[in-house]
Amino acid sequence: MAAQTIIVRPEKLEVRGLVKRYPGRRSRPGTLAVDGIDLTVRAGELVCIVGASGCGKSTLLNIIGGLEEPTEGAATVDGHRVVGPGPDRGMVFQGYSLFPWQTVRENVEFGLKAAGVPKSRRPARVDALLTVMGLGVWADQLPRALSGGMRQRVAIARALAPEPDVLLLDEPFGALDAQTKRAMQDHLLEVWRRTRATVVMVTHDVEEAIYLSSRVYVLSSHPGRVAAEVPVPFPDDRTPRIKRTPEFGELVEQVEAILIDNR
Amino acid sequence: MPLRRNGLKIGDIEDRPDGGMGSTMVRGSGEGPHTIDWRRSLAARNARTRGRRHHPVFRIRDELSPRWRMSLTLVGLVVPLLIWLFMATSGSATVLVPSPGAALESIGRMWNDGTLTGDVWASFRRILIGYAISMAIAVVLGVLMGSFRSAESFLEAPIAFMRYVPATALVPLMLFWLGIDETPKIALIVIGSVFFNVLMVADVVRNVPKELISAAYTLGAGRLRVLRQVILPHSTPGIIDVARINLAAAWAILVVAELLAAEEGLAFRIVRAQRFRQIDDMFAILIIFGIIGVATDLSLRWFRNRAAPWARP
Repeated sequence: MAAQTIIVRPEKLEVRGLVKRYPGRRSRPGTLAVDGIDLTVRAGELVCIVGASGCGKSTLLNIIGGLEEPTEGAATVDGHRVVGPGPDRGMVFQGYSLFPWQTVRENVEFGLKAAGVPKSRRPARVDALLTVMGLGVWADQLPRALSGGMRQRVAIARALAPEPDVLLLDEPFGALDAQTKRAMQDHLLEVWRRTRATVVMVTHDVEEAIYLSSRVYVLSSHPGRVAAEVPVPFPDDRTPRIKRTPEFGELVEQVEAILIDNR
Repeated sequence: MPLRRNGLKIGDIEDRPDGGMGSTMVRGSGEGPHTIDWRRSLAARNARTRGRRHHPVFRIRDELSPRWRMSLTLVGLVVPLLIWLFMATSGSATVLVPSPGAALESIGRMWNDGTLTGDVWASFRRILIGYAISMAIAVVLGVLMGSFRSAESFLEAPIAFMRYVPATALVPLMLFWLGIDETPKIALIVIGSVFFNVLMVADVVRNVPKELISAAYTLGAGRLRVLRQVILPHSTPGIIDVARINLAAAWAILVVAELLAAEEGLAFRIVRAQRFRQIDDMFAILIIFGIIGVATDLSLRWFRNRAAPWARP
């Protein structure tokens, strides 16, 4: 590629001094799930948050999504403090979050209805999303007829429909088999390149985090803190081939070492 | 690969420490000291087959061929009938049991003189009105209790208390307050079923996965939309099941109400038959109760599958 233009992209999402403490019951002490997390995501970035299970990474994402309240600190989107859930922050969960009584099309349409998009303008947008996600032939099926990978594609399409400022993914491929997972990763990269959405994804899979993102936040466990922020030096139009390069392997080892040191 | 074809896994393969190439052994197939699994009983090891498969009829949670299922269903219907026939013909002087034929004849007679239609309609109408009111209250309160912790805290105690007050104990009070026409009977059906229905609907609503609610919120839905487009549709099959299960309780309380004060109705007819020692008629009414029960149960099942095909097992 010739002469790259350097675009200074504004901060889309900021998390400052985030603390989440769950109150204890009776004599039991509470748990400190998240202890002072700071992070910044610029517009159009794909950032992964990686950590062992129980490190508070889902709590962090839920707070950004507005589904949980922080004990201290705050998350801001475009400078506005998050106080509750909203269509500006689309979320995809690990699984089982599609409405089982609605067809694929109706699921994707849900956010458009909620946003008050007139009925006449909905089909075109739904169809466009279904095509991007490769779901066209499944449009009129119920979720139960779909495989796990297909369901997660619907969940991503549904979250993208209201055109969120930030897309939050909570271990979206965690329940998928290895082959489907790899296909979904490439699919996500392609959708991200096409839509230039700002994406924050939580995962415990180090390889996945490095393969997908431009930066990786490594969280420590009990309580969750940012142990390291690792820049990923691969281009946006990467292919699975980079996974076999020595640089990729070294980066994986480096992040895994940080995780082990901060257990 | 023969390994997989034989139903074995990689873990079943052992490397013999003394061997080189080709000395890999498969567990249980040789005689060497490394391959004998001592946990297996001697008899099982000496058998020519491995494992045991029971007859389909005795397997836990396994499918059964339609032929077996049909035959067993038939046996389940025929055996009680035979017991009835035996009791009717063995002719005890103290326990008078009419023959199935006599009971059927009685149904035919009541059908012909029009009392059956009148009685069925009178009872069914009371159930229909009373139970509809009961379910309407149950859906509103149950959805509130299952969705809002505040509503749950507020309503749980009084409803739990009322649930343990037997509705039958309220019959005299209702007759005293509301007279002897239709109102007290319908009121009793409502009181006798509504508390069970509320608590069970609340349970159904509580079972709506949190992820669905979270997903709806992050898609821009407000609370009303979450209630109407997530919680209600997800709860619909469960609510229909609740209605189906507690309907029997409504019939039970209706019978008590009709026994005490009515001019028409199935339970009223039983009391009347008793007064005139018409045991055939009493049996006939019992059969009618059963038929109505099974018919409503089946139609509610059908309705549940129709209303929520996505939840069909």
